[in-house]
Amino acid sequence: MNQHDVLVVGTGLAGLSAAVRLAQSGARVRVLAKGVGATHLSGGTIDVLGYTPERVERPGEALAALPSGHPYARVGAARVAAALDWFKTQFSGGYTYTGSLEENLLLPTAIGVPKPTALAPVTMAGGDLRSVTEVMAVGFRGLKDFHPALLADGLSRTLPSVTARATELHLPVERRVEFNALGLARAFDQRDFRRTVITELTSRLRPGEVVAFPAALGIASPHDVWSELEHGLGRPVFEVPTLPPSVPGMRVFAVLRDALRRAGGSLLLNNVVVGAERSNGRVSSLRVRVGLREERHGADWIVIATGGFASGGLALDSDWTARETALGLPVAGVPEPGARRFEPQYFAAHPIARAGVAVDDRLRPVGADGFENVLVVGATLAGAEPWKEKSGDGLSLSTGHMAAELVLAESGATKEAIA
Amino acid sequence: MAVASRRIQTEVLVIGGGATGLGTVWDLALRGFDTVLVERADLIEGTSGRFHGLLHSGGRYVVKDPVAAKECVDENALLRRLMPDCIEDTGGLFVETPDDDPEYADRFLEGCRASSLPVDEISVAEALRREPRLNPKIRRAFAVPDASIDAWKTASSLARGATAEGARVLTYHRVVDLHRDDGAMTGARVRDERSGEEFDIEARFILNASGPWAAQILHMAGIEDVGVIPGKGIMIAMNHRLVNTVINRCVMPADGDILVPIRTVSVIGTTDMRAADPDELEVTQDEVDQMLEDGERLVPGFKQARALRVWAGARPLFQDARAGEVADTRDVSRTHAVVDHAARDGVKGLLTMSGGKLTTFRLMAQDLVDAMCDQLGEQRPCRTEEVKPPGNEDGEYYDVGSRLRRRERTMADDELICECELIGRKRLEEELVRRWTTNLDDIRRLLRLGMGPCQGGFCIYRATGIMHGVERLDGEQAALSLHHFLQERWKGVWPILYGDQLRQARLDDWIFQGLLDIEHLPGATA
Repeated sequence: MNQHDVLVVGTGLAGLSAAVRLAQSGARVRVLAKGVGATHLSGGTIDVLGYTPERVERPGEALAALPSGHPYARVGAARVAAALDWFKTQFSGGYTYTGSLEENLLLPTAIGVPKPTALAPVTMAGGDLRSVTEVMAVGFRGLKDFHPALLADGLSRTLPSVTARATELHLPVERRVEFNALGLARAFDQRDFRRTVITELTSRLRPGEVVAFPAALGIASPHDVWSELEHGLGRPVFEVPTLPPSVPGMRVFAVLRDALRRAGGSLLLNNVVVGAERSNGRVSSLRVRVGLREERHGADWIVIATGGFASGGLALDSDWTARETALGLPVAGVPEPGARRFEPQYFAAHPIARAGVAVDDRLRPVGADGFENVLVVGATLAGAEPWKEKSGDGLSLSTGHMAAELVLAESGATKEAIA
Repeated sequence: MAVASRRIQTEVLVIGGGATGLGTVWDLALRGFDTVLVERADLIEGTSGRFHGLLHSGGRYVVKDPVAAKECVDENALLRRLMPDCIEDTGGLFVETPDDDPEYADRFLEGCRASSLPVDEISVAEALRREPRLNPKIRRAFAVPDASIDAWKTASSLARGATAEGARVLTYHRVVDLHRDDGAMTGARVRDERSGEEFDIEARFILNASGPWAAQILHMAGIEDVGVIPGKGIMIAMNHRLVNTVINRCVMPADGDILVPIRTVSVIGTTDMRAADPDELEVTQDEVDQMLEDGERLVPGFKQARALRVWAGARPLFQDARAGEVADTRDVSRTHAVVDHAARDGVKGLLTMSGGKLTTFRLMAQDLVDAMCDQLGEQRPCRTEEVKPPGNEDGEYYDVGSRLRRRERTMADDELICECELIGRKRLEEELVRRWTTNLDDIRRLLRLGMGPCQGGFCIYRATGIMHGVERLDGEQAALSLHHFLQERWKGVWPILYGDQLRQARLDDWIFQGLLDIEHLPGATA
């Protein structure tokens, strides 16, 4: 059995934030994950708080006013701000994040709905609808996950201040009739492709129009692709998230994964945590399934960042009981069997929506004994409605970051006490 | 206020675009009658589109209802010849589980022989070889010619056939009133549900094929207390073909005793509850739990599979207080019956089809049109036993791999819009040209778009984008259509969300709410 200071379970934004922050402070960290995390689904922006349910303009103020059951109430605005600042420092070489808790940016979704978000990469920030007035949305025939006319129409209908239209380029990508955003991003990594795009578009643009592209402007060096397009077209250019796989989300994953490795941490995929060995009120090791084998990993601290129902961190069985899948922690907020879990209206507030693992002020699970050294972060937590609130990225980032700080503080205190 | 800007004249007006109505308009067209069919929604959006997909061999009825069994035996054989493109030849098994009365199986065998139903008792080992997931504790197994039938393909073929013969099929046209002159029907007033326009259809004869809605239609003609009782049945589509053969429990027909493999899923059915209103069929948690338990009896581990969608259909049960005046002699067996309103209510030019089942839709149509011919004193022989509706010319059944084979041929030159159901962009664009619709739910029924495991998570945005791109939808219609689709879809998924399907639904939320934010699209929550 190998031994680490901290085992982080899950490799989404929450798990990676915790792991990188810890490794950078000298902790021996290993991330165990079933597969790549939700970064590949998310749009690549850091949505902290968008709706309460009114649209939020100043997320720092709004999250301070959330009820005590909300996970942000455990974190607090100051820690969220610290997490955002830390996150921004992880990006360099031009591809950086901009924004803050002061004011939400207002970025368009692929159907032209303005979405409040706290942080966005520079390649997206130009789409801030508080300042944009004329937009040309550019699509690519064969990219079935992005329809520029829907974006343009949605924008024009949503915001009277915006005039938007669309165009579609017919260019060979991967020599295939269809491709996803990643395929297009790889094409954009090629200089010839970028030049063709610039040539094709130049004659179609009107003075004053800014250009919206699917979020696929390169995966290897997105900042170079984006700035070359801005210069070549002579106007602001911005990315709009597509259906998954999310290229900007993959960039986040790659940056944090590389940071983890540089700081001496490790990341193991296809490692499924199926249980724990416990002694003296603490988890001493995790049981991990690797293919048909079972292994043990020991650690002083465990961070559970496996996600919610979408990622498999939580599961609801056919007898309508819910469980946390890695350690079997109790799940709060699930209606009793027989009680209604969902409302018949899709956009209603569903009784099960805020289900998750409830934690105390130090992110430790409540209602379960023997997990003194376990911290729970991200979408596994009870009390939030990430999609409705547009809060998922901010929650994952800030609770992951907070878990790292708590572990560092407590293990530092322990070491001092021993010394 | 709607102004009558047009008027249609026809010989026969058929009300209802389910299997019966479509069979009827096909039958009428082949006999040379000028015909109009009106349907308040999309084709087979009512009962016919909400069944389990079983083309009965007749086995289910051999003990309880031999007349119905014989009809099924005959119609099964006919439809296999006439509409093979709509049928998958799955075969069926009747199996006796440890919970079943062992004496029933012998009565079942006897009944099969009496109804000339070809039946073959096979060993339990052979049954398990054919269907390895089947409960290994079954005691006996009987092979019968059950099959699964794609109701949407069937409907589309009949509608195309009838239209080619000159009939007019008007979907989204709701009957708002019936016109009666003295003791005879003269036509109907209908409303185009899309434009809001109302107009009259003049007809010599009205055939009411509205199934469980028949009483609502008859009410407009001033005819009351026709005992149409909607019988609610729920069904659950499970991801994967848990079985490749139709599995029936060898018992008196009861709840949750049929499992039908159709397309890429298997459907378990069903319940039977009286419902007050065929438009208000609520699915309860108890019914879902019961159906899942019933599935476990047939296929152990059933509850671990993903449940994709649950729905309820309304059977057109018929229990007329004045049953003695029902024209057709078949009413004794309660299979289906033609209600003669001339004899029953003194109203000429109006017949109602009651009862019945999808397997016998052709026979029902024949009986209905025959009864009309009798009243008109104008004998024209039925031709539906001979003429194949379009699409069935090559005489081959479809199978579960048909779409994949077709798809593989076009892999290199067509975008795949729906990965679950293998629907290409060209297929979608062809269908948009063929049928004028702005409704994603219509597209779902036409192409099975959004019917697979992801329940529209990816393909619905794509389909909307394509429809909007070819200017079938403007921005506002796209918003409405998206919202309508999401709500319709949700109706069928929320009661069965557990396990991996809940996970899938959360991923869909991620797309619809997190990435696209459809909730805040103006007009979407209208």
